Amino acid sequence: MILTSAYRRRWRPSRYWLAGVLSLAIFVFLVIGSVASVAIGPVPLRATLFGLPTVGCIVAATVFFLRGLRDQPTVRGRDLTRAGVLLLVGAFLWLSVLDAFTFTQAAGPGVAAACAAACLPTTALGLLVLRRLDRNEKEPWRLVLVATAWGAIVSTSLAFWGETLWDTVFTANLLPGPAAITSTAYSAGILEEVAKGVAVLLLYLVMRDEFDDVVDGIVYGAAVGFGFNFMESIGWMTHLYATYSSEGTGVASAIGMWYWRQVIGLFFGHAAYTALIGAGIGVARQLPRARQRLLVIACGFLAAIAAHFAWDAWEALALTGVRDPLTLALLAHARYLFMVGPFVAVLLVMLAMGLQLEGVALRRALREEAESGSGAVQPAEVDVLMSPQRRFHARMSAFASSGLPGYLQVSRLQTAQLHLAMERWHRERQEMADPLAAENVLREQVLALRGAAA
Amino acid sequence: MQAREDFRPLYWTMLGLGLVAVLILALGVVTLLRFAPLGEHTGYRAQVTGVYLYDTRSGQVRGAPSSHFRRDQPFAAQVQWGHLPEGMVVAASWYDSLDTQVGGIGPAPAGQLADHNALVPVVTPSDLHANLPGTYTLKIVRYSGGQPVEVINSKAVVVVHDP
Repeated sequence: MILTSAYRRRWRPSRYWLAGVLSLAIFVFLVIGSVASVAIGPVPLRATLFGLPTVGCIVAATVFFLRGLRDQPTVRGRDLTRAGVLLLVGAFLWLSVLDAFTFTQAAGPGVAAACAAACLPTTALGLLVLRRLDRNEKEPWRLVLVATAWGAIVSTSLAFWGETLWDTVFTANLLPGPAAITSTAYSAGILEEVAKGVAVLLLYLVMRDEFDDVVDGIVYGAAVGFGFNFMESIGWMTHLYATYSSEGTGVASAIGMWYWRQVIGLFFGHAAYTALIGAGIGVARQLPRARQRLLVIACGFLAAIAAHFAWDAWEALALTGVRDPLTLALLAHARYLFMVGPFVAVLLVMLAMGLQLEGVALRRALREEAESGSGAVQPAEVDVLMSPQRRFHARMSAFASSGLPGYLQVSRLQTAQLHLAMERWHRERQEMADPLAAENVLREQVLALRGAAA
Repeated sequence: MQAREDFRPLYWTMLGLGLVAVLILALGVVTLLRFAPLGEHTGYRAQVTGVYLYDTRSGQVRGAPSSHFRRDQPFAAQVQWGHLPEGMVVAASWYDSLDTQVGGIGPAPAGQLADHNALVPVVTPSDLHANLPGTYTLKIVRYSGGQPVEVINSKAVVVVHDP
């Protein structure tokens, strides 16, 4: 809604150039990584052959998708169709890599499909909980799912090649035990978090209108993390299945890994790490000085890397040499509690603070809009818009009277009203590049939606 | 940090997180230096003749060296210990694809290992019927002051899945 209300300009702010440079850097890294992996040898050649075009397809699909959101309705369909086709091709190529060559080499596509089916409900649950927490102004599903897909396909690909190179250059030459474990922990922390964080950073640079504050940052960050966790879980489950199936314990091993990755580690893992990056970027969104913004973004990345590193390094501190299964199980649970738990606690505090700030600001903006007499927001609607339950109740009332079209129209109206309030808040804080007329266009669209809903 | 909302608590929380992160990562560097100390590179390299099928009864290797083995085939590495200084304390261990140690010898002086023509066999864990499939890595390390300080060679072989 806000996107179409903004002026169409021939020039773009510098953040688009920054996003372009970042995307180019990712692509160059992938090319270098692929060539190096072929030269060194540890990455299967076929994975490289299929993986690089996959990444190219996903990047192109993202570009078309984002362009489609900004296009005129006449050409929007064409760009979105292109994005959809490229996404499908990319997903197919990547699944070819994943199923047949890289992770599931021995387990086979059937086992990979079963593992994916097992991870899908838990990942979906994580995303639903995330959306539920984002109670004031929910992020659009399309962007949340783009973030998840990027985490699953592009970030895993980036991290996979990077970690293979790191292992070859550093870890393989280190002494077995704590030194090698620490090196692996650095590798996972740095490479995986940077690979995931880039996705959040690109969203911040390109989709500024849908990236409002610390709450949005946490939501997008966690979504990227859920995607990454989904794909990594499948990789580990199939690997363990393939390793232990000859011993007759393949299924049990895969289920055990599912428990650690998709139950215990669903919120205490990748989702939490990348949410820390998102929190840093989200706080930066509303800071006035560039130096402050860079500092908190750096702190977000550092916190994510450190949290991930701490979780991996716990193995060196506590798990090495323990043989008793009960002690191992207790220590493995404690690993999540003590290594990731404190970071999750801080994240929840930041989320609560962000929701509080956002709620107060939105209520004030809605009230001011209602008092302005524009008609976009009625005084009686302010309390409804500020309560997820009452918003839902209003939509269900529309559903009862007008069916699904009525439900959808009220839903669009509520979303547009909240966007308008968010726009007012950002303008009040001088955080907008768009001119005031953009707000008026948005207001007119709210009025049009109200007319349609009536 | 203007208008009516106070963003300072969020800002300072992020800076606090960043500070804690730097401390954690610095602890990691200390751990690395503790267990992989700098300045221990000697330039010595243990030569691995090859990895062979291993007869567990006679304790001898047989056949030609190979890089692939079936799960039910015990195997062992032959190392030319005599090429290392006699007094150098060394050890060699096998690690499976899950980084679990599965057999090894030492630490002992290289001269002693050379006298016994010591082999480095993989030991199948007692709770398994055969070796797990995947990549097995042999690491040969030099000891100093009772702790491993330098990797002086490594070699990888593959245990293939059952057909």
